[in-house]
Amino acid sequence: MRIRAFALLCAGALILDAALAPEIEILGARPDFLVLALVYGGLGIGVSISIIAGFLMGLMVDSELPEYLGLNALALSITAFVSASVLDRLVKSQVLVQCSVIFGATLLRDTIFYTIYYRGNLDIFGHFVLRYSLVGAGYTVAIGLLIHVIARLANWRAITGAPRR
Amino acid sequence: MLSLLIRLLRGNRDFATLIICALLSAIALSLPPTAKTVVSTIMSAPIIRPVKRVATAADGLTRIRSENARLRRLVMELVEEKAALVSLRHENERLRELTSFIVGFAEEERFDLLPATVIGMPGGRIIEGLEIDAGAASGVEPGMPVIVPDGLVGKISRTTEGRSLVEPLTSASSAVAVTIERTRVRGIVRPRYGGTSELLDWQMDYVPARSDIRAGDRVITSGLGGLYPAGLIVGDVTSVDEGPLTMTVHVDIAAILPAIEQVFVLKGLVAPSPERDAMIQALLRELLTKDALSASSEETPSEETPSDLSDRGDP
Repeated sequence: MRIRAFALLCAGALILDAALAPEIEILGARPDFLVLALVYGGLGIGVSISIIAGFLMGLMVDSELPEYLGLNALALSITAFVSASVLDRLVKSQVLVQCSVIFGATLLRDTIFYTIYYRGNLDIFGHFVLRYSLVGAGYTVAIGLLIHVIARLANWRAITGAPRR
Repeated sequence: MLSLLIRLLRGNRDFATLIICALLSAIALSLPPTAKTVVSTIMSAPIIRPVKRVATAADGLTRIRSENARLRRLVMELVEEKAALVSLRHENERLRELTSFIVGFAEEERFDLLPATVIGMPGGRIIEGLEIDAGAASGVEPGMPVIVPDGLVGKISRTTEGRSLVEPLTSASSAVAVTIERTRVRGIVRPRYGGTSELLDWQMDYVPARSDIRAGDRVITSGLGGLYPAGLIVGDVTSVDEGPLTMTVHVDIAAILPAIEQVFVLKGLVAPSPERDAMIQALLRELLTKDALSASSEETPSEETPSDLSDRGDP
């Protein structure tokens, strides 16, 4: 995936995260479009660029909450690093692998965010992870599966790993 | 230690990128609030702020649309409610008139009035009869006069257990002994039909020439013949044709048959009863009080509510 396309994907994810995610939340949990962009974008772009993309997207999200400026940037940088590194070592075109990475990445992002946000208060942290993060991670995986199906139908090789004709 | 870290970073570009980004994030987290605000403003300008603005506008539009739909539904409900209230008000006024009439009439004449509802009007262009929902079971008998607050309607011609047929003044065989209220000149009122069985008007016959009758005179029953009691309003004189021996007096009947919904059957005189008189007096007082109240409320115009209408006291 070229850098320009990846940048467009990240911009699209930011727009969806700001405009669509609040409208489609279920039980208070929202799909994480930024993690989806990092995982699917990171499939063909490399780890470093994924980390920088995660950092910049995080900063933009943080601009909504200036008091914690840098918190989402840190969480998304680490998430991008871990997900891209894991996918590099696995058969990244497999749907189960992709779903597992999406699930883990969403949980990782929330874990980093809430750990720092609540300054290690385990009670609140546990409540948020159990109440919102798990549901949100499942929701994000469902959206990821939908994207995978669309990618198969549209023959997007970057996601499906199908050979060139 | 530092040289080891630098060597590690040189060998692993991805890890180095992560460390740099993490450091930058940590710096951002530790910035003073004013600097954070400046950075936030810069970072939100390209994507987040415009998107949020559009999302807020779209949200507002959706809210306005749903509010609009809700208000439309509310307007429809209010229109229906208003129509129901207007209908209730008319019914209330009609029933109040009827009650006022029945109380006043009964007090003056001591007649036993049986209220009945018109349930049918047999006939075509000419109303040949009124079917009412009171019959022999209620004590109705053929020959009993039927009246409305406006005046005489006719008499009972047939009865069954639960229904009766009223022969109205439009009937060709109808003849009512009447008198002019002002001058007490007597005569008989009959309907007059044209060549095509068309009802032309009512005519007062057997009136001697040069009698003192003029247009506008009130025509009431004379009580002669024993069929109708004296004093029931029949109608008004519309015109007078002088003849050599008799006068032809044209009468407009007071009761408008097609508009009648409720009638009263005059069952006869009732025996004087102090309890009944007291009840009638109480009803009259109540009606007069409410009339005075409604007159004063009409002087100071205000919105009427359903409770206002119900408080008027349906009879």
